[in-house]
Amino acid sequence: MREFLRHARLAWYLGGIGLQRLMTYRADFALGAGAFLVRVGVQTAVVGVIFQFTPAVGGWTLHEMVFLLGFSLLPRSLDRLFTDQLWELGRRLVQQGEFYRYLIRPVNPLFALLSERFFHPDGFGELLVGAALVAWAGHHLDLELTPAQWLAAAVLVFLGALIHMSVKLLFASLSFWTVTSFPAMHAANQISEFAAYPLEILHPVMRAFTTWCLPFAFTAYVPCTYLLSGDAGLVVWTPVVTAAALAVSLTVWHRGLATYEMTGS
Amino acid sequence: MNPLRPAFRYTPFVTGSLQSLLRYRSMFAISAVTAAASAAMMIFLWRAVHSSSPDGPPGGFDTAELTTYLLVAQILGLLHANRVDDEVSAEVYRGHVAAMLLKPVSYPAVRAFACLPVIGTNALFAGLPVLLLFALLVPLNVPRPVDALLFAVSAVLSAAVAYLVNLLVGMAAFVTTNTWGIRLMKQTVVAFFSGQMVPVGLMPDALAAVTRLLPFHTMVDSPLTLLLGRYDGVPGILGVLGLQLLWTAVMCAVAALVWRFAVRRLEVLGG
Repeated sequence: MREFLRHARLAWYLGGIGLQRLMTYRADFALGAGAFLVRVGVQTAVVGVIFQFTPAVGGWTLHEMVFLLGFSLLPRSLDRLFTDQLWELGRRLVQQGEFYRYLIRPVNPLFALLSERFFHPDGFGELLVGAALVAWAGHHLDLELTPAQWLAAAVLVFLGALIHMSVKLLFASLSFWTVTSFPAMHAANQISEFAAYPLEILHPVMRAFTTWCLPFAFTAYVPCTYLLSGDAGLVVWTPVVTAAALAVSLTVWHRGLATYEMTGS
Repeated sequence: MNPLRPAFRYTPFVTGSLQSLLRYRSMFAISAVTAAASAAMMIFLWRAVHSSSPDGPPGGFDTAELTTYLLVAQILGLLHANRVDDEVSAEVYRGHVAAMLLKPVSYPAVRAFACLPVIGTNALFAGLPVLLLFALLVPLNVPRPVDALLFAVSAVLSAAVAYLVNLLVGMAAFVTTNTWGIRLMKQTVVAFFSGQMVPVGLMPDALAAVTRLLPFHTMVDSPLTLLLGRYDGVPGILGVLGLQLLWTAVMCAVAALVWRFAVRRLEVLGG
């Protein structure tokens, strides 16, 4: 318990430093947040163009699909705000021999690693746009959520962020064996984009893959199906899937830590 | 003196780049997986549109044509992933570019030569397998031989434009440290305005008009217009290829100007 309080206090303090950094490099913040704005703009434009030709895709209407797109950004940005240092682990920390830094600090190595980029500025743009899209689409859909559903939505966003983190941690940890795992992380990240589309349109094999293998379906598609239609068939599995994903990635991370040997000088 | 002599000066950069590429062969598998996943996503998405579209196939594309367009667009994307933006921005950011300036070579030319093996190996080890895989799985449009030839010419020009775009994006590191944000922005803008996500022929008129004013559509839409035979005789062909040449020339000039200006104001700390 004392250990936990100490980490919480550190997280608070380091988060403050993250925010200060954000204020110092304002142009960088604007660029990072702007890049996501452009990205979401383009995704929305694609949805817009598609609905010129058809009233529904895989049974999803325009507003439902915008809701899905916006919702998919919430767990993704929450994850990005806190765990983006994992990209550095996969990209170069092992390769360049810099990783030892996190092992010689008197805190949990994973915490030490992640704390380097608390409040990663690029996440803010995504979070705001996601919330705006969800609000806009929800308004047009006349979505009335019960208090229980509001609570469920918040929990689902949090669990979705944990799923994103788990997959990222899993692929970043591979770098302990392969020295750099950036391309693999990039591929996984690419697949996570699927989460922003209705899975009905995919081939059953791909649908099963994004549901049970790299469970990105649980970050957006499954929660949105539940929130929009009340169909709770899959959503009850979300905690189980999240726990399983976390267990697998943490195991790989610990194994990786155990095999880590510092390179270079 | 051999007139090709200056070009030979760059052969070490070509072989060096090739050697380092062949060290990390698993990269090709990953690139192939990434491209295949994106292609599959786009193809499924547009197929769903196709099957539920009440007034027939959109934009005069039949299923095979649309599938071919989306698939080949992703494969062209592999040829455009020449890493020039990463390399240039990293070398500028860390100051390594200073060492390059001391050598009797032109830095943009070094990057151009070094990216040739990247394009070649990507096409061979990632593009070709993806194409074959999809040819087995989905119906594709078989082009006429003449269209395939025109496509090859146009693809080379599209790779040139992609190199220039990436060079300019890489040079943004002279003015900002968040090169990652700029590159992400470029990636998104190019993916959309090249036609990779929405074929230009399917965009609403206003959007299509904007797209045709930008250079990016010459990277994907132009080669595919030729591949699918969606042009009007010889003038149509010349129009497409001429526009690609024009953009190559314009961006060459812009890149040369920016490079000159940037080098003049470059400051590198340390030694």
